[in-house]
Amino acid sequence: MIGLELKKEKRTGVTLVLFITGILGALYVLLNYSIRGDSLLAMPMKPMDILLTQLYGMIMVLNVFALIVATSLVYSMEYSGAAIKKMYILPISMCKVYMSKFLIIISMFLVSVVIQNTALLWIGKTELSKGEFEIVTLIAYTVYTFLTSLPVLSFMLMIALIFENMWVVLGVGVAGFLSGLALATSKTELLLIHPFIVMFKPATAMTSNVNVNTIIIALIETIAFLILGLVISQNKRID
Amino acid sequence: MESIISTRGLTKKYNSFTSVNKLSINIKRGTIYGFLGPNGAGKSTTMKMLLGLTKPTSGKFRIDGKKMPEDRIEILREIGSFIESPSYYPNLTGRENLDIIRSILGLKKKDVEEVLELVGLSEFGDRLVKKYSLGMKQRLGLAGALIGKPPILILDEPTNGLDPAGIHEIRNLIKRLPKMYDCTIMISSHLLSEIELIADDIGILNHGRLLFEGSMEELKRTAKAQGIKDDNLEEMFLSMVNVDNYERMQRAVL
Repeated sequence: MIGLELKKEKRTGVTLVLFITGILGALYVLLNYSIRGDSLLAMPMKPMDILLTQLYGMIMVLNVFALIVATSLVYSMEYSGAAIKKMYILPISMCKVYMSKFLIIISMFLVSVVIQNTALLWIGKTELSKGEFEIVTLIAYTVYTFLTSLPVLSFMLMIALIFENMWVVLGVGVAGFLSGLALATSKTELLLIHPFIVMFKPATAMTSNVNVNTIIIALIETIAFLILGLVISQNKRID
Repeated sequence: MESIISTRGLTKKYNSFTSVNKLSINIKRGTIYGFLGPNGAGKSTTMKMLLGLTKPTSGKFRIDGKKMPEDRIEILREIGSFIESPSYYPNLTGRENLDIIRSILGLKKKDVEEVLELVGLSEFGDRLVKKYSLGMKQRLGLAGALIGKPPILILDEPTNGLDPAGIHEIRNLIKRLPKMYDCTIMISSHLLSEIELIADDIGILNHGRLLFEGSMEELKRTAKAQGIKDDNLEEMFLSMVNVDNYERMQRAVL
């Protein structure tokens, strides 16, 4: 099923967008550190906190837009030539189609995150003093930022399924990003229901400590949006 | 003869508008059933209900003894369909589009080439579909329905957008299909002249109601009984529709 989805996604740029985001993120990390490395390390924070939190903000912005674009593309190809109508009259489970799209994007996003964090690993190994670099902290932070990004992925895929017009999907994504940005520093826990705010959490923290509560909320939201998307995909009527 | 598709009181309402009204039709196995009606008569909606694209408001139907939605996958495995306009992935070539359908149906690679040849698209198979003309997209849509030689074909105005030569070619192809593939075809059109050349049985629909169902011979007999020359079936069709429209208006006034 995933193979079939990959065939359908040929020439759409879905996987390419996420891969390029990984490369761009890594280049940004390397370039930023090469220019501002000394001033960053002069900050009154632990070197690992500086390395991870001070560079994550821009990476996260790249990742948000990559997820918005990738999820938009993955369903716009279904709607642009009404191909989805054909899918609904073929002996295929639309839940499996949705799940395959989800798995492809999540896998490519993981590749992107690994590429970005490989750049951080390289800086940590080569630029930080001996004993300052902690591989476990880097891995934990990578997993943390990956997991907190998943609600946006899951939410945007559901939006892309619901709205046939790609510009509406992009609009929802941009609105989510801007509203998330405006509310990211709020202390109100209830706002974590907003998937973009969950993704912004690691970027607004001053330490690289993993917040378990945020991870739990991220997982609940990811699963909730995924289930909602699966139900909608099964019951959507194409007229 | 045994019916492969039968509907009983099939109805579809959109708010206060009734698109299909208590429709009961029977399509015999191995025949071509012409589904005729003016634009907006409910032909496409009926076909969409048969394919599970639209949920009926009431009524039921059976396709080869199976029920929707319980047997959706089994039903769709038996049906090749083409509804309204061609559906395709514009980012893929014609051949790649058909290969997607082939993969889903679990068919062999050669089936794609065979069906491309059948609809006359072999030489354009590697062209991106977004660069196809309307007629080529129409042929691709038809190829998507024919691939794998399904036992039932549901074709909604398949000659739309084709030039006269293309219409003639596709019409001849459809006519040959029941013998070639041992299949049953339900084909819709708003032109009786088109349907009378290929169909064994016809159903005439107007404002969602079935006005006539039977063989071409029965239609000719009905026409004769009403004083309409049987070589002018288009007039017969228009007369049936006009009478029904008049009666509807009378009912509305009352």
